[in-house]
Amino acid sequence: MARVELVNLSKSFGAVKVLHDLNLTVEEGEFVALVGPSGCGKSTLLRIIAGLEEASSGEIVMDNEIVNELSPRERNIAMVFQSYALYPHMTVEENIGFNLRISGVRKAEVRTLARAAAETLGLTDLLDRKPSQLSGGQRQRVAMGRAIVRNPDAFLFDEPLSNLDAKLRSEMRDEIKRLHQKVKTTSIYVTHDQIEAMTLADRVVILKGGVIQQIGTPSELYRNPANSFVAGFIGSPAMNFVDATLETSGDQVFAALKDGTRLPVSEAYADLGPQVQLGLRPENLHLAEPNAENAIPGTVQLLEPTGAVNHLKISVAGQQLTVVDDTLTDLALDANVHLSIASDQIHIFPKEK
Amino acid sequence: MTTLDTQEPELRVTIPRKRTRSFPRLGKFATHAFMIVGLLVTIFPFAWVALMATHSRTEIYSSPPPFWIGDNLTENYIKLLEVMPFWTVLFNSLWVAVAGTVGAVLFCSMCAYGFFAYDFKGKNVIFGIMIASMMVPPVLGLIPFFLTVQFLGLLDTHLAIWLPGIANAFGIFLIRQYMMQSISRDLLDAAKVDGASEFRIFWSVVLPLIKPALATLAIVMFIGLWNNFLTPLIVLSSPDKYVLTLALRSVQSLANSPWGAIMLGTFLSMLPLLIAFLFFSRQMMAGLTAGAVKG
Repeated sequence: MARVELVNLSKSFGAVKVLHDLNLTVEEGEFVALVGPSGCGKSTLLRIIAGLEEASSGEIVMDNEIVNELSPRERNIAMVFQSYALYPHMTVEENIGFNLRISGVRKAEVRTLARAAAETLGLTDLLDRKPSQLSGGQRQRVAMGRAIVRNPDAFLFDEPLSNLDAKLRSEMRDEIKRLHQKVKTTSIYVTHDQIEAMTLADRVVILKGGVIQQIGTPSELYRNPANSFVAGFIGSPAMNFVDATLETSGDQVFAALKDGTRLPVSEAYADLGPQVQLGLRPENLHLAEPNAENAIPGTVQLLEPTGAVNHLKISVAGQQLTVVDDTLTDLALDANVHLSIASDQIHIFPKEK
Repeated sequence: MTTLDTQEPELRVTIPRKRTRSFPRLGKFATHAFMIVGLLVTIFPFAWVALMATHSRTEIYSSPPPFWIGDNLTENYIKLLEVMPFWTVLFNSLWVAVAGTVGAVLFCSMCAYGFFAYDFKGKNVIFGIMIASMMVPPVLGLIPFFLTVQFLGLLDTHLAIWLPGIANAFGIFLIRQYMMQSISRDLLDAAKVDGASEFRIFWSVVLPLIKPALATLAIVMFIGLWNNFLTPLIVLSSPDKYVLTLALRSVQSLANSPWGAIMLGTFLSMLPLLIAFLFFSRQMMAGLTAGAVKG
């Protein structure tokens, strides 16, 4: 197991700078997810850590040793690719044992280790099959078997579940989590799916345009997003953003919506300037009586039942908000309703230009 | 209830279905007849050479020509050994073809891998020049070729026939295109992460995946070298170093050319090609049709 540290890491492709002075420390045994929209540089970052791509500047430090000049092999990392990248002409057993075989491990030992890895992942019955004879989930397991068999210092995952269907994805997610709890190897996991990142990782790194937006535990990111990008990226359905103006009356700060509704908010936000954006999580908004605290009037635009909860689209002050309604109230379209939210659940961000 | 029947039943018009094939049997018969004719035309020269190998010179020149198996096979064989050291010449041809084929498969695939896997300055320019070189007629290069071989001191050696062709533009192009279709970059990266050296990646991961292309190149090279007449003609001078094409040609200039023996020699010289083709054909077909079904 290794501690992985990135110091002022930058990467440019020609004139295009894709990573900007990144600093990140992944502690020994920690599971860190890199998440961000496509094109944010997360896969490039992973390939740099793996040694498949060179950094333009900055250092990659593993266990206090600068590894910039080392080959992937010398870094002793294992990587699981989005396309699985299994060797099509080799059987499952040969695929898993390939890296041991080329490092000179005796044949009998390769066999034992490959079989042990296959057993961990439930692949024992498939050892003689070729990758083309396997399903997507099985291929994914073989790719993981290939990674765990050599007991690497760090695992790198490059969107390993994005080619699987929803059900299989959640199964494999559990499996990866179980595997990490068992082997406790330092893991860096790249994904564009925030749910995957939140459920798997000890800490999540949010990237946008090659710049780290925030690093924190899933609950930190959810509760205290550093900016509106993080706030909008984390959470499903995504956070609602509403334009508002901050007003101070006495020692109380209010956010006034366009329709005149005034919501009391924390004084800490007073300095953000008059024009702001309120961030309201759909699950924090509730249907309420007109005279309830912080009641916001609106009209029902759309009702999307998902079974356990209903997703409501409510028009408020000229903007559409998503509300998660767990009371499953039967509402007519265009009905007038009121929403309420606790003051401490209102996030406020400076208005984007 | 909704229904698609919007017209009264009596108003509906029945449109007769177009008959697509009036005489399916006739079509099948025509196809078969066409293929049989094609087969006969293709096979005739081979069968004719085999038949003539069993006849004497006089029988061959008789009119009408003999369409039956003759009884001069043994005499022709003895005559063949008299006019040329047939087995030595056959071995020479075999050596030239096998060495050139193995060399070409190895060097073309390594060179193609270089163009496929690495990015270097001027890569596209070099590749372009290489492709352009295929457009120069080989005959134009004969004199420079002779001078180069002479300069290297390779005149009258087999090396001069097979060595220059082992890294050829066609082979490199064919294999590189196949690699681009069938090998993903991730696979090379995975092998790198697994700790494979550059040569190991080429040998253990890339080569097994391009077998069809290698087989295609092998058969093309083998046939080319086996049938090569011009290069041996200009570089070889000692009769004991002759290859089949040259030896068979040289006896045709004898007075009273022993055509029965020449036909026997020609027939025997076709056999290795047939064997090579049978050996590689399945792989080769896969190579030639790959890409037709792949994305």
